Amino acid sequence: MIEIVNLSKWFGKFKVLDNVNETIQRNQVVVVCGPSGSGKSTLLKCLNGLEDFQQGDVIIDGVSLKNPTTDLIKIRQKIGMVFQRFELYPHMTALENIALAPMKVKKIPREEAEKKAMALLERVGITDQAQKYPGNLSGGQQQRVAIARALAMEPEIMLFDEPTSALDPEMIKEVLDVMIDLAKSGMTMMVVTHEMGFAKEVADEIIFMDQGRIIERGTDKTFFENPKTDRAKDFLDKILF
Amino acid sequence: MQGLLTTFQLAVIAISGGMILGVLVGMGRLSSRVCVYYPATVFVNFLRSIPLILVIFWFYFLVPILAGRPLGDFLSAAIAFIVFEASYFAEIIRAGIQSIPKGQLQAAYSTGLNYPKTMRYIIIPQALKNMIPSLLTQSVIILQDTSLAYVIGLKEFLRSGSIVDAREVRSLEIYTFVGIVYFLICFSMSTLSKRWEAKKGAVR
Repeated sequence: MIEIVNLSKWFGKFKVLDNVNETIQRNQVVVVCGPSGSGKSTLLKCLNGLEDFQQGDVIIDGVSLKNPTTDLIKIRQKIGMVFQRFELYPHMTALENIALAPMKVKKIPREEAEKKAMALLERVGITDQAQKYPGNLSGGQQQRVAIARALAMEPEIMLFDEPTSALDPEMIKEVLDVMIDLAKSGMTMMVVTHEMGFAKEVADEIIFMDQGRIIERGTDKTFFENPKTDRAKDFLDKILF
Repeated sequence: MQGLLTTFQLAVIAISGGMILGVLVGMGRLSSRVCVYYPATVFVNFLRSIPLILVIFWFYFLVPILAGRPLGDFLSAAIAFIVFEASYFAEIIRAGIQSIPKGQLQAAYSTGLNYPKTMRYIIIPQALKNMIPSLLTQSVIILQDTSLAYVIGLKEFLRSGSIVDAREVRSLEIYTFVGIVYFLICFSMSTLSKRWEAKKGAVR
């Protein structure tokens, strides 16, 4: 489904991604963790072309992103993304946020798009907030709207970029519950997070990144109970008390 | 007062024409394409570095040459204003668009919206809200600036005043009256823009 092949990227002289290789199968959930500045978010944004890269390739369903004739707009319709800071459109209601892309990209009539948006709001458990603007929603509610917005395009893959790290602690669970549901429904997911409870529950694979490289990978058991590298051990000690 | 009408006509044409051209130039200033970015940047920096009165004069002589025939005071002044004010509007629009966080662009792209649609539905509506006070302020300035068209003999409001003065020879009264009218129009417009800003501040 997603193949990342020898991917390298520089910001100026600084190498943010260093020869990253990874394959994600359909229905798999991959969790990416690692210290800040290790290139996790950048890696995620390379997968839907929000960031470009200088070496290697990303292949989505057999389509190479390196190829200049690849239509990124088409690729992005297959890949939903959820951001750390939600990035809802502040001038639109929750419902409009969700219905916009189906209406403007897929040309679905407004009525139908809004009906579908309501169904998605129900799925993330906040139908009562449909007519509110993002500024009047709590962080947890905003992030759930953002997940619904990404799902509205019926993506085959969902990318999550630290979806809970800008949230107050008591709101983390409501967002994680939606994500766990999604994982269990068979969505292919790549999730940058430090929520190790989430990783233990649904991750098929956990990747540990540092300085732009994947330095360790494993299933939840092998990774948490028996990290091979000192760097990963050190990191886990710091985030698991 | 025919003169006041001319002043308003010139201001409205300068504001609307300047804004349309300004949107295009402002977006050009944000383009990553060198062949768009540089002409737009040169246009803005050049016009912002020369006095308006010079531009009015210049177009008064240049436009007939380009058009191959004289176009009259009003048209030549209108073209000069549109071009000159576009450079100011362009900078307001560029700054407004840049004030929107990059995350909004990324979010819109990630749902499959292309650049024009992202601009139209996500970036411009938000940017416009931020820009309205500056746009209103600039419009007030334009209304005042139209008096400079005096120099090419256009019978706008100030010029009409001076014609009346030549007839009546009551300079102090006439220019005071002209001043009060300008003040009333411009002050009420800028008060409006301040209120708008205050209202926007209260919502946040």
